[in-house]
Order: sequence, then C-alpha cells, then structure tokens
Amino acid sequence: MNRLEEELKAALQREAPSEGFAGRVLARVAERDRQRQQSRRWFALPVLRWAVAAVIIVVAGGGFEYHKQVQERREGEQAKRQVMLALRITSAKLQEVQWKVQQLNRDREAREQ
Amino acid sequence: MENWKDFATLVTEHQSMVFSVALHFLRDRMAAEELAQDVFLQLHDALPGLETPDHVRFWLRRVTGHRCIDYIRRHKHDPLPLEDITEPSSPPHDIGDPMLRRRLQQVVASLPEKQRIVVILRFQEEMDMEEIARVLAMPLATVKSRLHRSLAVLREKLERVTGMSCV
Repeated sequence: MNRLEEELKAALQREAPSEGFAGRVLARVAERDRQRQQSRRWFALPVLRWAVAAVIIVVAGGGFEYHKQVQERREGEQAKRQVMLALRITSAKLQEVQWKVQQLNRDREAREQ
Repeated sequence: MENWKDFATLVTEHQSMVFSVALHFLRDRMAAEELAQDVFLQLHDALPGLETPDHVRFWLRRVTGHRCIDYIRRHKHDPLPLEDITEPSSPPHDIGDPMLRRRLQQVVASLPEKQRIVVILRFQEEMDMEEIARVLAMPLATVKSRLHRSLAVLREKLERVTGMSCV
C-alpha cells in the first residue's frame, strides 16, 4: 500500500454518528409502525368500508351507464345512415321511372301527330 | 426471530459503517444522519428476507451506496470543485496530519459519485474489488478501472493542493 492509499485509509476512517442515533432510529420505526396501524385501523371501520364500496358501485354504475349511452348513440347514427342510403336509392329509382314515363308520353304524342 | 435479527442490536452494530459511508460521500453530517436513518428504516422492513449477518452487512452497504448516489442526483449536488479547496499557508506533509485528512476527504468528495463510492468502500470498509463489484452490481473490470482512475485523480489533485508527492 503506497502513501496515498495509507492517507486515504486514515482520512476515511469510520466515525460514530451523534449520541442517541440508535434511539432516534427506533423512535422513527415505532412512529411509522403506529401510523401504519392507524391507517389499517381506520380502513377497518365498517362505515369506511361501506363508503368505499358505495363509491366503487357509483363509479362502476356511472361507467356502465355512460358506455350504454355511447353504444346507443352509435347504433342510432348507424340506423340514420342506413335510412339516408335507402332514401337516396329510392329517389334515384323514382327519377328513372319518371324519365321513362316522360319518354313514353313524348313517343305517343309524336305518333298521334 | 433469530437472535442476530434483533433490530436494535443491528442498528448499534452497523450505525458507524452506514453513517460514515454517507458522511464521507455527502460531506454533510445532517444529511448523512438522515440518510443513515432511512437506510435502517428500510432494513427494518427488509429484515425478514435477510438470511445471515453477512447478508445484512452486504445489504446495508449496497443500499447505503445506492441511496448516497440517489441523494446526490436528487439534490443536484455538484462535486466540490477543486478551486473551492483552499490552499493551506504551509502545506501539510506528515502522515496523520488532520489538515491533510480533511483535504483528502474534500478531494474524495469532489470525485464523480460512482468513483467516490468505490473509493469509500475500498478505503473506509477495506473491501476487496470483488466485494465492491458485488455490492454495487458492477463488473469487476469497471470497479478496477474506476478505482485506478480515482487514485490517479486524487494523486494529481492532492499534489496540486498540498504540493506533496504521494507516489
């Protein structure tokens, strides 16, 4: 080991933390455990459990209702598109028949003259 | 629970090691104490999964090292620039000189974080390269090159600051 390494070993010796370190750690562990227990106990209250269940039901019900409405709107729009297509086809057919009738009338008038 | 898993005993046994790694890394007693406390809080949760006293020591070194690096990254502590290390009126030369030790600690704290943790584990904990590689989950070659580079930088910085030759 050269001089630099010896100096490094001396400079980086372990140092003790300030007095009462272990006590402060144990106190923090105890405080954290107490908080965890408290939150567990709080959730264990029947009222809170029912409240959480109610919120879940409301959110799930709302989601289902929303999904249903979106689905109905989509089906309605599809039905509307189909009706419009049918009307366009019918209109085209009627125009064709009208054109043929007019053609027949013109031919008849020409023959009579 | 086995005897060696008594948490209070483990804290007392390892507090100097954890605190000193953090202190030499951060150069801030308050931050080092807080970080060391956090490491022991984490140990309290992890203890059921640790199998032997050696496993606990390994776990503590690994978690402390990683937490030190995370702390620096989170708090954006730049390494101490060498210019901030004031030159002494008379350069210290003797081994065991407290001023020289303080300067060395400052120069170590100016290293990039991954080099710094390698140097601290090597010289504070006197760990060999294989152990450091395992603790930091780094390839052995990386540990060797980081230590080699760190020593070269430390030698050069120390010579500049103190004017001493430390070959």
